[in-house]
Amino acid sequence: MSILSMCQWLQDTNIGTSIRESIWVFPIIETIHVLALSISVGLLLVSDLRLMGVIMKRRPASEVYEQIKPWMFIGFAIMTITGIFLFWCQAVKAYNSIFFRAKVILLVVAAINAIAFERGIYRKVGEWDDALVPPMEARVAGWASLILWAAIITCGRTMAYTF
Amino acid sequence: MPAIIPFFQWCDDTMVSQAIRNSRVAFPVIENFHLFALTVLLGSLVVLVLRQFGLVYKTQPISEVASALRPWNRWSLAVMLTSGILLFLSEAMKCYGNTSFRIKMLFLFFALLFQFTIYNRVVASEGKSAPVGGKIAAAVALCLWFGVGLAGRAIGFLG
Repeated sequence: MSILSMCQWLQDTNIGTSIRESIWVFPIIETIHVLALSISVGLLLVSDLRLMGVIMKRRPASEVYEQIKPWMFIGFAIMTITGIFLFWCQAVKAYNSIFFRAKVILLVVAAINAIAFERGIYRKVGEWDDALVPPMEARVAGWASLILWAAIITCGRTMAYTF
Repeated sequence: MPAIIPFFQWCDDTMVSQAIRNSRVAFPVIENFHLFALTVLLGSLVVLVLRQFGLVYKTQPISEVASALRPWNRWSLAVMLTSGILLFLSEAMKCYGNTSFRIKMLFLFFALLFQFTIYNRVVASEGKSAPVGGKIAAAVALCLWFGVGLAGRAIGFLG
C-alpha cells in the first residue's frame, strides 16, 4: 500500500468524510488550530527569547522555561489534535502539497532541536541559569526554534492557498 | 451604512489595492505576517493573563512581566495593523458586505480602547498578585482579543 493510497483511505473514512463535508466542523477545527498558535508558539517565543538573552534576563532561564512549559504543552497538544483532524479530512491534498511536506520535515527538525537542547546544554543549566546572556549553544537553540516555527507557520498558512 | 460605501470603494481602487490584487504572492505573504503578529500579540497576552491569575512567574511582579512583554506587544500590534490595513485595501468592497468583518472591527475597536485606557494601566500597577478587578480586566482583554482573532478567521469562512 503506497502512502498516497493510505491517504486516500484515511480521508474516505467516516470521520474524514464527515469533517470535510460539514459546514461547521472544519472551520471550527481550523479556527482552534490557528488561535492555539498563541498558546503554543506564542508561549514558546517567551522561553526562546530568554534563551537568546533578550527578555526577562534577570530571571533564571530555567524558571522562565519550566513555568511556562506545561501551558506550552497544552498549546502543542491542541495544535497536534486539531492538526491530525485537519489532515485526516484532506489527506490526499496534503500529501500532494509541497508546503505540507515541508511543514512535516520542519516539525521533525524543530522536535530534534528541542530534544537536543534538553539533552545537551540544558542539562548543565545550573552553570548558566543566571547568565544575562546564555551560552552559545542555548542561544542557537532559541534562534533555531524561532526560525523553524516561523517557517512552519508559513508552510501551514501557504498550503491552504494551494488547496 | 450606505454613506460609507464611497470610502470603501475608494480603498478598493487605490494603487496599493490593485498592486496586491494583481500579484499572486502579495496577499499570502502579507497574510503570513498578519499570522506571525497574531501569534506574538495573543501569545504575549496569554503569558500576562496567566501571570495575573498566578499560574506562571509568581516570583516576578505583574508590572515587571508586563514591561518585559510590552515591546513585543507593541511591535506585533504595529505589524498586525499594517498588514491588516493592506489586506483590507486589497478587498475593501468584499469586506464591506462581510458580517464577520464588521464584527471583527467592533471587537478590534473595543480591544484597543480597553487595552489603552484600562488594561495597560491595570497591569502596570499590579505587584505580587492581582486583585479581583485585575483578574476581570485580564479576562476581558483576553476575550476581546480572541474575539478579534475568531471574527477574523470567520471572514474567510462565513462571509
